[in-house]
Amino acid sequence: MSKVVEISPTTRHEGHSKLVLKVNDAGIIETGNWCSITPVRGVEKLAIGKTPEQVPKIASRVCGICPIAHTIAATEAMEASIKCEIPKDALMLRHILQLANRCHSIALHDILILPDFYIPGTETKINPFTPEEPVRSVAKRIQRLREIGQTIGQISGGECIHPSNTRVGGMYRNCSQQAKTKMYDLAKEGLVLAHQQAEFMIAVIRNYHRRDFVDVGGMKVALPKTLGFHDQGYLATHAFYGSSSLEECPSWDPHRFKEARPWDWYMGEMEISLEEPRYPIGGTTKIGTKVNPQMEACTGIPMYDGQPVEVGPRARLVTYKFFDEKGTQGQNVAREMEYQDCFYEMIDCIDALNPNGKVVADYIPDGDGSLGWATNEAPRGCDAHMARVKDWKVQYFSMLVPTTWNFATCSKALEGAPWQLAEVVMRGYDPCVSCATHMIVLDEDNKLVAQKLIQ
Amino acid sequence: MLYPEIVIAGCGNPLFADDGFGPAVIEEMQMLSLPDNVAIIDAGLGGPHFIFTLLDPEVTSKLIIVDLADFGAEPGTITKLRVEDLPPGAYRDAHSWDLAEPLQRIKDQIDVTIIGCQPAKVTFPEFELGLSEEVQNAIPKTIRVILETIGVDYGTTIKCLQEERQRGTAERCGSTETR
Repeated sequence: MSKVVEISPTTRHEGHSKLVLKVNDAGIIETGNWCSITPVRGVEKLAIGKTPEQVPKIASRVCGICPIAHTIAATEAMEASIKCEIPKDALMLRHILQLANRCHSIALHDILILPDFYIPGTETKINPFTPEEPVRSVAKRIQRLREIGQTIGQISGGECIHPSNTRVGGMYRNCSQQAKTKMYDLAKEGLVLAHQQAEFMIAVIRNYHRRDFVDVGGMKVALPKTLGFHDQGYLATHAFYGSSSLEECPSWDPHRFKEARPWDWYMGEMEISLEEPRYPIGGTTKIGTKVNPQMEACTGIPMYDGQPVEVGPRARLVTYKFFDEKGTQGQNVAREMEYQDCFYEMIDCIDALNPNGKVVADYIPDGDGSLGWATNEAPRGCDAHMARVKDWKVQYFSMLVPTTWNFATCSKALEGAPWQLAEVVMRGYDPCVSCATHMIVLDEDNKLVAQKLIQ
Repeated sequence: MLYPEIVIAGCGNPLFADDGFGPAVIEEMQMLSLPDNVAIIDAGLGGPHFIFTLLDPEVTSKLIIVDLADFGAEPGTITKLRVEDLPPGAYRDAHSWDLAEPLQRIKDQIDVTIIGCQPAKVTFPEFELGLSEEVQNAIPKTIRVILETIGVDYGTTIKCLQEERQRGTAERCGSTETR
């Protein structure tokens, strides 16, 4: 007889989400629903009638974790609509900014997942804040990597959180020769640290997944070797940066994208019938509570070629670098493997950057209302923005953010896992939930049928 | 080091009307010339993970946070708070990694001041741009309080600031941008 358990709110990621899990007698998940419970905000509506300069700024405020991906994707969507090619040096600055953001983000994700893992060779779980070795030096390395990422981002993007240097048509200003040298020095320092960090993390991740049993809040849970496996597809648009409709061979196609309604996808009303007070932090939801993922979910289900797909580091490695490891382990390892690449790429871009080159396009058209889109490979996956600009006014704007893609895929990946490890699977996706609230729904004929109703 | 001795961070989301108070104050302050040991940062929603957890106590000695605070006063009223005065969860890390608050971790090593403004309207979860008049009018006073707190010469800067305002710069927030 299956039981229903709910983990709400999920912890150690950004935003508010919850897991509603239908489990069998052995505690193995039969159906998993992972859904965002952050209310919908209408960024698409707000953008209409604004200038193309304002919309990327609005987009960057949607989320506190990846403002850089949103700024770049929104800016490039505007450029794609007005058909404006930016100078090479501006593009290099954007590449550097993007990679700096990834450098910070991977380090942050490491801190968040470390408490799930053991110090290899011991039965001690890692507490990233402990003053004891060997964790202390890892924490220091993580801090330094985050500092490096933020400093490089500040130099190339103008400000370290909400970049002010990007503009439609390129960048406001190029950096000086000294700033270029400083970024280069920092990137070289970061490369060494990234190597060390990736090696450490991969050892810790492998150690965890080799275990037969793991501890969750004092419960001994059997760890399946297929934790987090799914048969959905992958979507990545570039090895590290992104694509746009201006490109000769774009790697994303809006016509292959469709969105399903959450009430066709998630489970209906149920009652909680399994409660575990030992589960960290604070136990699971009380028995008898009513849940209704269909109505509570705040996102649509985006599909590519008719099915939900995975986006993120593994999708990039699978698409561009022949990576073939599945499951949560593969996902976390892929993220660490990207770490060194991120610095190698950054050093190449800094090399290619000419501080005396121009960074603004000579001619910025006003736009004729044609549809333009741009994708940006944010640390946690593909961030696709679409826009129509006519006479320097935005007529249409839409954001398809990374975690929205991953909600349905992760829900599939939960099947077959012990429910206590559901959060481990979820954290593998490095979720950033608060921006995953895009909610314009198309029906099978690609017609707009409903703006989400919250009840 | 990423952050200097004194850090001023404006927190909040300009998409929720008055919640954009922090960033608006920062935008105004960017027009002032301040000493090199002061950084003014538009933290947006990223305060906890981009700033509060990245400060080095050996370098940074003072952190000033500008944000909204609901303390039951008239809209636009300003108050100075300490970390101890904050309700639990006020600056919980967005990633809520161990449900601890980063400010609690640093408050013994870094002098943290929170300057809070009573909002007139916060539109969450609906998006709305623009501050209410009461909160907009609180910006100059807030800047005065910040300058006082960091010990920057009061008279001259305030005079400059008033001139800036007369030229209408305060109204610039996001509305009259040109290419």
